Amino acid sequence: MSEKRFHKVGRRPYELRLTPDGSAERARGRLPGTKRHWLQWRDVHNPKTLRRERVLVDKKPLWWVIGLSFLVIITPFLPNSLISVVSIFCVYASINVLWTLIIGTAGIFSLATLAVVGASGYIAAAANVYLGVPWPFMLLIGPLAGLVFGAVLAAPSTRLDGLYYALLTMGVAEICRVFVMQLRPLTASGGAITNVDSFIPEDWFLQRPGLLLGFAGAFLLLLGALLVWRLVNSERLGMLLRVAKTSREDEAFAEAIGIDFRRARLLVFVISSAALGVVGAFYAMYFRSISPQIFSLDQLLLLFAMMVIGGLGRAEGAVIGAAVVTIIDKGLITLGPPRIILVALIMIGVTIFAREGLTGARDQFRDFRKRKAGERRAGRTDKGGEAMPEEATDVHDKQELYYRRFNKRLRDRLKELITPELIEEHKRDPLGHHSDALSRVLNYFRRGEMADKYVIHRMIPAEEKFRIMAVSGQRGMPPRVVDDREYTDIKDAYHAVFLLRVNDLLES
Amino acid sequence: MDLGLIIYALNLSAIYALMAIGISILWSSVGIINMAHGATFAVSGYAAWLVTGVMKPVIADILGNGGLATFAMAGTLVGSALVAGALCGVVIYLLAFLPIHDKPNFQVRALIVTLGLNIAAVQGLLWTFGPRNQGLPKIFGFGRWEVWGTKIRYDQAGTIIGAAIIMTLTLAWLRYSRRGLEVRAMMQNAEGAAYSGISRQVTALPVLMLTGALAGMAAALLSQTIFVSPTAGVIPLVKGLTIALLGGLGSVPGAMIGALLVGFLEAIVGAIPFLGQRYVMFATFLFIIAVLIIRPRGIGGLLDDTRE
Repeated sequence: MSEKRFHKVGRRPYELRLTPDGSAERARGRLPGTKRHWLQWRDVHNPKTLRRERVLVDKKPLWWVIGLSFLVIITPFLPNSLISVVSIFCVYASINVLWTLIIGTAGIFSLATLAVVGASGYIAAAANVYLGVPWPFMLLIGPLAGLVFGAVLAAPSTRLDGLYYALLTMGVAEICRVFVMQLRPLTASGGAITNVDSFIPEDWFLQRPGLLLGFAGAFLLLLGALLVWRLVNSERLGMLLRVAKTSREDEAFAEAIGIDFRRARLLVFVISSAALGVVGAFYAMYFRSISPQIFSLDQLLLLFAMMVIGGLGRAEGAVIGAAVVTIIDKGLITLGPPRIILVALIMIGVTIFAREGLTGARDQFRDFRKRKAGERRAGRTDKGGEAMPEEATDVHDKQELYYRRFNKRLRDRLKELITPELIEEHKRDPLGHHSDALSRVLNYFRRGEMADKYVIHRMIPAEEKFRIMAVSGQRGMPPRVVDDREYTDIKDAYHAVFLLRVNDLLES
Repeated sequence: MDLGLIIYALNLSAIYALMAIGISILWSSVGIINMAHGATFAVSGYAAWLVTGVMKPVIADILGNGGLATFAMAGTLVGSALVAGALCGVVIYLLAFLPIHDKPNFQVRALIVTLGLNIAAVQGLLWTFGPRNQGLPKIFGFGRWEVWGTKIRYDQAGTIIGAAIIMTLTLAWLRYSRRGLEVRAMMQNAEGAAYSGISRQVTALPVLMLTGALAGMAAALLSQTIFVSPTAGVIPLVKGLTIALLGGLGSVPGAMIGALLVGFLEAIVGAIPFLGQRYVMFATFLFIIAVLIIRPRGIGGLLDDTRE
């Protein structure tokens, strides 16, 4: 069989498709220990060639792998200053991913994320410096502190509404900052805890091997944050919360079908707070110190700007936004204060123009293109055409569309033929030899569809008393009476039907 | 409690009330949590500083050095702060309201845009003028009155009286003018107001200008007590937001009561020896959190649609 060439036309976006052997059995790898597949392949049939094709439905995992491995490959070749920028990016990105979990998945508009990071970092650092706990245990103390702090913070979130809670948590961050600044043992260092022990050996600190080790740790942290995001957002908890996501009605619905969404929200909040505690401990270790700067509003706003630029509520948005802002903030540090203005302007621009940040731009562009295409189609088609353009894409039988278009043009022609003289001609002689124009019109009427076709009903058998009815067009459904006029002459009835049809024609 | 403490508390309350009422009115009528309120505050402070700097020799030339000159100076300062605040309101209207007011997630997006505006404005001020504090001319003069044995500084008295006048004017405008009626209709029920022919686009502009001018007024008054600096707006913004919350967003009397409560609380905490000025913020936030947990919609807010 010779392969027929098809040209790429129509609305289907061109994408890479595998053409597997049609007779081969399908084999897919699964994630060990689960029922999930590695990649979301789907077998489809090409409606034209009728061949089996395989499509990758969700291409995001590929992009994640490409992006993250690019980061790993490129970093060892960067100069020292950029390595620390990349590490800071990883830390910020992991904070943002966890914050996305709170804002996006749990739907709690909390601004206390950095407060949780800072508080647990402080507690872990204090345990290390003042109690002499070795550094690996900091990674245990941090999440424990985060867990407790998160539980305390989460308590009012069920009672307070979104923005109220947001501003309350902003207050919590301020309280933390003031509290730390007031601590007497720390006043000498301006509230900072210094000389924290770290996974980076002391003589490597700020040296190239130390920086690379720090990057490795930060990268693992980011991977861990993404894993937490995946486990919470895409597994049971996230699915439960997706029911109660958008509106008050959804919450009521979720409650009605037995989902305790408040508990799920709190759980997500507490889990991410514990994870943020790990980030806090890591932060203290990475910089070997922790200062009240972490509670400051500026830092919080910078992180928030990252999420907004990338797209609120998406993990990829959190990471991409972190990349954009970190590059501007730390990479262009020679620019001075204008770089923050640049970040703010990007944030404003993205918010005004983009529906869901940079990561939502693709979908938004597609929607925009679709809308424009629809508008162009509408412009091409004559207004008042039988099939409106949007409807036309839904009609499966395209023959139908052409038939309707033909019908419309025919009617337009016939409308021009209808004149008072024509009607007068029909009135004079409903049956018989007609002029060319009248025969065309009558032929069109005769060919009409059965539904709503007019018929003459003799009201009493063998008596000259008629009325006009319209056929239902459905088997078993009786015709309906059109009006209550009665005709004693069949010719009048013929003409009345004619007038009704002319009326319908002119109105269509 | 002595009279000096009460005056100090009233002074704080007056500034807070000016900020909080602006935030509260804006939220309930237009639906914007205005994070750029602090930037408006700082920008109007700087505008007043610039204008008075330019006008000072001019006024001294024409009017000499008498009481009339001080009066003219006061007028220039307050006027320029008000105008700058109103202009900031126009900018917010053009960026944070007009392009997005009919798009989904308007409230969150407006919050983000105003936040961005706040960051940009503060950094812009830092860039242009540097982090140095700038002192504005003292329009109330230096000195104090003796009332029942306590001394009241002129600037304190001026602040309290000025804020009271401005607030009375604002409330009267809301109560008696046609535009005020429209704003109140929007505060009650934005959709219903739209059905009765009140345009959201048209009404939002004067509301934003008014709230901006209120912030400008607060800046002009506070500049009599402390200096103007690029980050001067942060504390009034945070205080204004939290007090607007405490009072219940959208409730003007609630905001006033909240401002009074917080002003007195801060004055008293500052006066207690073992707590002192350092724990003022701490105590305020604890108080506000406690109130919000008991009454999730604030003091003046309605409880009807809180989360159960």
